[in-house]
Amino acid sequence: MSCDESQEKAKTARDERRRSLPIFGGVAKPVEPPRVWRSLTERSRALPASAANEFPAGASELDGVSRRGFMQVLGVSTAIASLGAACQKPNEKIVPFVRRPEEMTPGNALHFATGYSLEGYTAGLLVESHEGHPTKIEGNPSHPDTLGSTTAFEQALILGLYDDDRAKQLRRGEKPIAWTTFLSETRTRCESLTASAGAGLRFLTGPTTSPLLADLRRRILSRFPRAKFVSYAPASGAGAVDGTKLAFGRPLLPRHRLTEASVILSLDADFLNDGPEQTRLSREFAGRREPGRDMNRLYVVEPSMTVTGMTADHRLRLRGGDVPAFAAALCAMVSARGVNGLGALGGLAQGPGSWDQKWLAAVAADLEKNRGRCLVIAGRRQPAVVHALAAALNAALGNVGQTVEYGAPLTTDANSGPEALRGLVEEIASGGIDTLVVTAENPVYGGPVDFKLAQLLKRVPNVVYRGLFEDETAAICNYFIPAAHPLESWGDGRSNDGVVTILQPLIDPLWGGKTEADVLATFLDEGHLGTHALLQKYWNSLSNLPASASGSFDAVWERWLADGVVPDTGAAVEAGVKLNAAGLAQAAGPLLAREGAARGNGLEVSFAVDPKVYDGRFANNAWLQELPHPVTKVTWDNSILISQATADRLGVETGDVLTVSYKERSVDGPAMIVPGHADDALTLPLGYGRERTGHIGKLVGFNAAAIRTSDAPWFDRGASVSVTGSKHRFAITQDHWTMSPDGRDIPPPAVAAPLSEFLKPDSKLHEDLEERRGPQPYIHKPVDYSKQQYKWAMAIDLNKCTGCSACVVACQSENNIPVVGKQNVWRGREMQWLRIDRYFSGSVSDPEVVNQPLACVQCETAPCEYVCPVNATVHSDEGLNEMVYNRCIGTRYCSNNCPYKVRRFNFLDYTGDISPAREMGMNPDVTVRARGVMEKCTYCVQRIERKRIETRIQGRTIAEGELLTACQQGCPTQAIVFGSLNDPNSKVSKLHGEERRYDLLHELATRPRTAYLARARNLNPDIKVD
Amino acid sequence: MLYARTPYARQMQEPIEQPIQFDHRHHTRDEGIDCRYCHNTVDKSPSASIPPTQLCLNCHSQIWNKSPLLEKVRESFIQNKPIEWRRVNKVGEFAYFNHAIHVNKGVGCVSCHGRVDEMPAVEKAEPLTMGFCLNCHRHPERYLRPVSEVTNMAWKPEGDQEEVGRRLIVENNVHTRQSCTTCHR
Repeated sequence: MSCDESQEKAKTARDERRRSLPIFGGVAKPVEPPRVWRSLTERSRALPASAANEFPAGASELDGVSRRGFMQVLGVSTAIASLGAACQKPNEKIVPFVRRPEEMTPGNALHFATGYSLEGYTAGLLVESHEGHPTKIEGNPSHPDTLGSTTAFEQALILGLYDDDRAKQLRRGEKPIAWTTFLSETRTRCESLTASAGAGLRFLTGPTTSPLLADLRRRILSRFPRAKFVSYAPASGAGAVDGTKLAFGRPLLPRHRLTEASVILSLDADFLNDGPEQTRLSREFAGRREPGRDMNRLYVVEPSMTVTGMTADHRLRLRGGDVPAFAAALCAMVSARGVNGLGALGGLAQGPGSWDQKWLAAVAADLEKNRGRCLVIAGRRQPAVVHALAAALNAALGNVGQTVEYGAPLTTDANSGPEALRGLVEEIASGGIDTLVVTAENPVYGGPVDFKLAQLLKRVPNVVYRGLFEDETAAICNYFIPAAHPLESWGDGRSNDGVVTILQPLIDPLWGGKTEADVLATFLDEGHLGTHALLQKYWNSLSNLPASASGSFDAVWERWLADGVVPDTGAAVEAGVKLNAAGLAQAAGPLLAREGAARGNGLEVSFAVDPKVYDGRFANNAWLQELPHPVTKVTWDNSILISQATADRLGVETGDVLTVSYKERSVDGPAMIVPGHADDALTLPLGYGRERTGHIGKLVGFNAAAIRTSDAPWFDRGASVSVTGSKHRFAITQDHWTMSPDGRDIPPPAVAAPLSEFLKPDSKLHEDLEERRGPQPYIHKPVDYSKQQYKWAMAIDLNKCTGCSACVVACQSENNIPVVGKQNVWRGREMQWLRIDRYFSGSVSDPEVVNQPLACVQCETAPCEYVCPVNATVHSDEGLNEMVYNRCIGTRYCSNNCPYKVRRFNFLDYTGDISPAREMGMNPDVTVRARGVMEKCTYCVQRIERKRIETRIQGRTIAEGELLTACQQGCPTQAIVFGSLNDPNSKVSKLHGEERRYDLLHELATRPRTAYLARARNLNPDIKVD
Repeated sequence: MLYARTPYARQMQEPIEQPIQFDHRHHTRDEGIDCRYCHNTVDKSPSASIPPTQLCLNCHSQIWNKSPLLEKVRESFIQNKPIEWRRVNKVGEFAYFNHAIHVNKGVGCVSCHGRVDEMPAVEKAEPLTMGFCLNCHRHPERYLRPVSEVTNMAWKPEGDQEEVGRRLIVENNVHTRQSCTTCHR
């Protein structure tokens, strides 16, 4: 084709397009659903006009004040202010140390290894501290279960530490008392309790693996032999340990290893975003996501879309109550394919279930084909029988020792579920309890509703409660002890593989909080010692210190603290784990029948741990509240998740407030239609609707625990729904920041294709991707950055991203990004620099999902720069698109012209009135932006400059892996890679050269420095995908 | 605008009274104590740091340990109460200045702080505005000195400064940067 011809052709096409515009009398084409969509409204091409507008109506208005009015007020106040202030000289103080700690260099951050225990299991952390203020959390690379990454919860701990709403006063009833008063009163009480050997003394704790707490418990029980300890956590699932007891005859804790797993089946297990292994499993899972013959395949069976479900290659939506039957059918199918060892378990299937038999057969065949290289994981919500069947399958398929290992349980109590609590509840009801010490996380809020803990605890004459907040449990206790935040506490704990971490405080308790050990020690008359002394005393007293502990105890102790792990403490792998198939079959039969009978038919109500506030303990954390939910993208709310088909049947739309009734109780909450939800089921996330906590979390969302009973902690049938008629307005970010504001078709921003397409060298996919990278003609001569020392760039692998959102919180923490509140999210004013666009494709009932993290892509020819009237956004010599806050006058032209919509504007003064405590947690290397200033991702330029200076003083260049952006460092799957393109051996250079690489909106010739790697789905050819 | 550029508006050449009459003249010129004995993080941290009280007492627990002039220093140490000095030099809150890189690349203390060894009470010697910084970042050869001479208040180049400076740029691998994010983040 000659040049003229092609130009002619392009012109005709252009003319045709123009003629089709309505103003030229064109007729609109019939509406087809777009290939990919972020929300159901976008899919139906019915996005409201506001979505087309980057700043929706009202986004630029103050509440009740127009811009014009505001400027008038501003003018006057500036004039007044300038009258007084003009001649003032700053009188700033410099306050040096009296004695500077030896290790401290003012101006340079220190890093301390510590840990955080959730549900008893400890994750190793590395905390950055500036002049004694912890400011940023990272994973500890030497910790076996975090490997240097973190979860969103761990990232958000910083905000929790400085939360001004935390409880600050120890009190008896309403009366403030001192810790010493509490100690002496407890001492007196202990004396009277000794007479009865502690018959009326009970402790309600959270699940724990702490050796110190176990020792304190041992000692308390020897002083008060008739006292008892009960542990409870609302999200605890005892299924795993009970399941192994059924399968192997003894309670064991599974440890999964995904490095060797080619085929993974999750039975309602959100293992990539939940549980003590999640960070390590994410890393191991992603390590096998390189397209090629080695790539793993993930099947997920679950009722409601989770992070793991979004990452699945094949996903089967199935109600929670159907999973046991599915597991039994799978056993039968695997057994029928000639896998020995399942014995009678092959006969447990109870006829065909509601699922696609071909799907089941294909999964069974795939598992069988990959004996010893596959894995079945059961989730915490599933009953013991499912865990037992999963264990049986793993044993029969030869996976034990390969992809799963078993060890002795690590928590002090085997069961921390409602069954554990039941005994205590009965004792209290019968009136035998005199003193109850509660160190569990807010049981009155999270406990089973049928236990009526709020009324029950009032019957105990003496309730001592330790909590971070004046919460629901604090309201009914006699003694309230403010808890020390984990970052203020000494302690110890074990990871899922048993490795011990000594937890050290980063700062003294800001408001005099006490640790759990402090409280327990008061019952040994040792409350005055403090946890540090208790901890050292305990570890020093051990006759069998870990083998590597040579030298004086002090030296060993220092090393443990510095490393964040105590060597040689990993739990032993149980050898000779043998499946008792016959026994299990005998036990499982009735259990399955009971599950089947009890679950019956009807609408299923199911409860889920929330990926943002967990069981409610993070409800007062504004970063997590404003974090868009990984699946629904809802902020500041929970919602009743429901499938489209069920919603249609019930006549429900998103935002309708429903009354869900289960047994004799009911709760009201707004519905949210989610693609991929199981039909005839409702999912109610826990942790919201808090009546008593700080001002952030109070009354956000609805409390699903209001209908959660002890006999159905996770799911049950027989719920009914009625529509109340009122509407709820969600603050959802999924339609914000769209890259095609006028609804025009752009090439799919997130590319995903079957693995087979990637493996074919000349497929259409490769052609498409080829078209979406490489130089584009551009009006200016491109700047040559190859002579610079560094050419910063990023690569994001969509094949590894699970959408867990740890990066978003990490970015928020590193870059002092404010939260704006629900009203402002409504108006599209959320400030997170990094967003995760979650694209669905395919059908609404069984969609495929791709997650695409998107921050400023640092265009080399940045559209934002041309339109800035004050040069507030310019290019650095290394090609960074810089944002200069002190030049910005807030025209927002740059954001308007940004095709990626990654710029954020401070509409209001979000940081002006933050508490002095919160100020301590700000990153001192990053400007705290004022109102009226535009901001966006900088590739963590403060980290670049720090590292540059450090290495230039040493006379060398920045080495690979030495400089990480906050999002990269937090990412559990290492989907984000940052580095210099001028180093041909850097990881980012190699990824930019990959054949999966493509540029977002490449056709605009913006030359983005962030490249994406397309996602490959490792599809099973035997499963049909629509 | 003109007013803003006057030394008065920039609070220059105005000795600041400190809670303790610390005399730099005596300590540096008479006693020959190197700047880095007290400002000892200047070559490894963004901040040069004001010395902790303990450091004063390294000497003053032995000499002049009964001097009434040092009463406040002893009080600070005994009561564990920091001395509140008044700030003299300050760059804007939005500028992230780093002492370490400058000192390690041969920018003398005197270039920004003036002849502190001749000040009875320290005053701001230079405007410390962005223009002042850029003067040097654009023409480092006019100001650089050997790294060994950074604390030498009286150093003079042997020969032409620009010539010496150009040689030092190569020797010390100096790359002054002028991108906004070098200082503003």
